[in-house]
Amino acid sequence: MDIGVIIAGILTLAIYTFLYKDNPIYRAAESLLIGLAMGYVLVIYWQTAFMDRIFSPLLNENDWWVLIPLILGLLMFSRFSRKYSWLSRIPIALMIGAGAGVAIPAMLYARTLKQISASVMPLITESGGFNFEALVVIVGLLSTLTYFYFSREHKGIIGKVAKLGTYFLMIFFGATFGYTVMSRMSTFIGRIDFLLSDFLHIIK
Amino acid sequence: MSKDKIRWIIFAGLFLFVTLAYTIDIKMVSSPSYEVQKSFDYIESLPEGTILMISFDHEASSLPEVQPISLVMIRHAFRNNLKIVGLSLFAEGTAIGYRTLNKIAAEYDKQYGVDYVFLGFKPQHIAAILGMGESIYDVFPRDYLGNQTDTIPIMIGVVNYDNIEMVISITDGDRAVQWIEYAGPRYDQKVMTGLTAAMITSYDPYLSSGQLFSVVGGLKGAAEYENLYGEVGKGNRGMPAQTVAHLYLIVMIIIGNIIYFRNRKRQGRSS
Repeated sequence: MDIGVIIAGILTLAIYTFLYKDNPIYRAAESLLIGLAMGYVLVIYWQTAFMDRIFSPLLNENDWWVLIPLILGLLMFSRFSRKYSWLSRIPIALMIGAGAGVAIPAMLYARTLKQISASVMPLITESGGFNFEALVVIVGLLSTLTYFYFSREHKGIIGKVAKLGTYFLMIFFGATFGYTVMSRMSTFIGRIDFLLSDFLHIIK
Repeated sequence: MSKDKIRWIIFAGLFLFVTLAYTIDIKMVSSPSYEVQKSFDYIESLPEGTILMISFDHEASSLPEVQPISLVMIRHAFRNNLKIVGLSLFAEGTAIGYRTLNKIAAEYDKQYGVDYVFLGFKPQHIAAILGMGESIYDVFPRDYLGNQTDTIPIMIGVVNYDNIEMVISITDGDRAVQWIEYAGPRYDQKVMTGLTAAMITSYDPYLSSGQLFSVVGGLKGAAEYENLYGEVGKGNRGMPAQTVAHLYLIVMIIIGNIIYFRNRKRQGRSS
């Protein structure tokens, strides 16, 4: 049997010992997982960020422009000094400025404008029929928004509409929870599949 | 009975039922959802030689759920002689993506550099997504193996999204959202995603607003896609166990509620 499969099988069982109770075997496996993941990510970042983008262009292609992001990156470490910590504001300002400049228009379009246009649907279809889906969307949207309207007390008609909004929210939470359970079960099933087929060879 | 013992019994029961569902040969029929059918039909309709970009944007921990999706989609693409440009915008997905592509390519006798390529990982994913809209060669000057990207046969002439038919993001988080928000509106790039079931509701707004082409979600989505593809894979193998686990959980929830209401009634009487 492949040594990797044996290690993976033992570590999977070690992780599942937590279901009995917290124990040193579980903690050892958990620490190993975190350490390995961090080590792997660090190596990947070192290679793709430092080697490929900084050292290789600098040493092989004499591309001196890469010194600018390198210096800006190093300035972040000035936060460790009380005297020079102000220097870190330069790269932070640049990151926030560039990040906001890129993100705000994209998010405004994708998360607000497109969502509004998708929510406004005609109640009558092109063939003249009634669009029940559009009605559900409109009622759901308005009642849920009313629930989050806190400028007036939720009494009378506002209270009733807000109450309806909570039902739509409950349906959403229920669907999300259901999908999450399905997701976690899939992970568990995947591990059982591995244990029964690759590790123990009980099933093919 | 102590709470710990009840917990152990519930876990042991789940383990037993899932294991039984795996060892007993149960055939389950599931009709494909609209989204899975749409994904399959679209890939099926593409002419040979069309280039797809598959981004492995997930961690190793979500492999049991997302790998069946990536396996069947890559198989489908290779069977139809489509070309694949693989990459990862999530560090942990790098080796997974490379291994998955190589594994399926070997099944279909596909050649690295000609039928598929793996560009590797790029940090700062938003910058990478935007950068590829201008030039893929600038964002990935070299592929995962260190070859110069613009000299790799499959990549010759593949400058930016104009030369990519569709981006398929295999994800367990919100990485596909960035593909939708940055590659979609600015570069008019079509985006499809294969994702964990837990994330499906997060992507629904993008789907209903037409920003996301389609979704293949969770192990069930993989099973449906496998049915359309015509080959039983990990998705279908997991479906009986998934169904049994869900039924078990429903029964446990009902029992838990009965106990809760009975206890509340008793407490009401005693007070």
